[in-house]
Amino acid sequence: MWARSGHRDFPCKECHGTALGGGVHSLKEKSMMLVHHFTESSPGRITLDERQVLEMMDNCRRCHGTEYARWISGGHSATYGAIFLNGKHNAAEQLNADCLRCHGMFYGGTIDSLVTPVSRKGPWSLRDAGRSGEPAIPCLACHRIHTEGSPASAAGYDDPGGIFYSRRPAETAAAFYDRYEKMYIRASALPPLRLREGTREVKVSDDPRGRICFQCHAPGAFHQAGSADDRTPRGVHEGLSCLACHDGHSNDAGESCINCHPAISNCGLDVTTMHTTFAEKGSPHNIHFVRCIDCHTKGIPPRRGARASGPDARERD
Amino acid sequence: MPEGSGLSRRDFIKLAALGTGALSFLPGCAPSRSREWIFLSDTDAALLGVVADRIIPPDSWPGGKENGAVRFIDTQLAGPYRRFRSDYRSGLDAMTAACSGKYGRKFESLAPQEQDSFLRAMESGALREGGWTGVSSGKFFAMLRDHVMQAYYGSPRHGGNPGYASYKMLGIDYPPLIGQNRYRL
Repeated sequence: MWARSGHRDFPCKECHGTALGGGVHSLKEKSMMLVHHFTESSPGRITLDERQVLEMMDNCRRCHGTEYARWISGGHSATYGAIFLNGKHNAAEQLNADCLRCHGMFYGGTIDSLVTPVSRKGPWSLRDAGRSGEPAIPCLACHRIHTEGSPASAAGYDDPGGIFYSRRPAETAAAFYDRYEKMYIRASALPPLRLREGTREVKVSDDPRGRICFQCHAPGAFHQAGSADDRTPRGVHEGLSCLACHDGHSNDAGESCINCHPAISNCGLDVTTMHTTFAEKGSPHNIHFVRCIDCHTKGIPPRRGARASGPDARERD
Repeated sequence: MPEGSGLSRRDFIKLAALGTGALSFLPGCAPSRSREWIFLSDTDAALLGVVADRIIPPDSWPGGKENGAVRFIDTQLAGPYRRFRSDYRSGLDAMTAACSGKYGRKFESLAPQEQDSFLRAMESGALREGGWTGVSSGKFFAMLRDHVMQAYYGSPRHGGNPGYASYKMLGIDYPPLIGQNRYRL
């Protein structure tokens, strides 16, 4: 896989370190590889510990500076301190092993070796205060480096189709790191979200990248829309991918409205001035759940096609 | 030494000596077998692939071979299943010899019906008189069947079932989609 990956021109030691340059984990790992080599046994899968993962982020940053800058400005750059020393979290959440599924994928210990006390009485503190500033969701939480692909190359103008309509989609490096299995599951292999609103099946985008979002922003066990941490769009935005509005790295959705409105707005409203905030309960047009009836309180007008027909219908509307 | 690393000073010195000392041996190393497999030979792997596809034949879902049975067996024989190495060596050799004695051909060259017939004879232990030596054919078949099943239905981290194909076949979502958030923003 490595030989076919987009990062194939980088030597292994760029990320995995040298036997003497990557700390105790690296020294132990490389020594055991020699032992396995001579005993004809399997070294198992080579993994990075959390220290190596965090150190490796400097390598990511070297080439992917823009993505890094976006990530650091967004919610997914949250540190252990921001998550586990948050008073609101303390009062509402019961710490459990599953917290680390999304908040500390690469942490090598258990929740009680990270935070104390394991209760809602709190206040929580980190057993190792030095971790407070470390990112809990590093680059490798959502990106698999050993992904088949090719470095970007110049467009071939002798084959215009290859640049436009018949362009082959590249295998995405987006993948979810499953800390229980200690392995990646590529985005397209993750399970799709089946969501219900009451008994109604909610249309969910089949954008594979969104499946990574659903892993953590997931509904409760009964998959009811809006339960637990579900933010899947319903109402007028039902079926849209998370990535249709949110930047993948910063999660910023500030410019997303203008991408579609008002140019194709059905109602002609300037939606960019509407109170659409998701984070506030009082938001009348919560962007994830806003429905036609929220604005058309006296009844939803028929669609243009149903209201007007004929060759000049477009001009009339 | 970082606190909580689980490595004593003595272990650290041993590992450092081993790591640096062993480097001097590396130029003398040369690949002694196919890099595809750790324990198995290419011949073993080819035979096991065909057997795996008779135990779990492919249909609209992958069969045993495509779903990583050989990779699983090879990985496990180089790890936790080292204790089965001699049984595999003996069993695969006996299988080749018995098949050659009975049909005059390799197992891989038989028609699917003949392969099934041979495997049934293996399972029942009826090959004892047919040139089978070493580990009993019934025990070897049971071990093969178990390992192919483990590969097919187990976690990919053990070497088989790439992409959780069998989970998808059974309609099991992995990882499960269950949110934990108990308060609203």
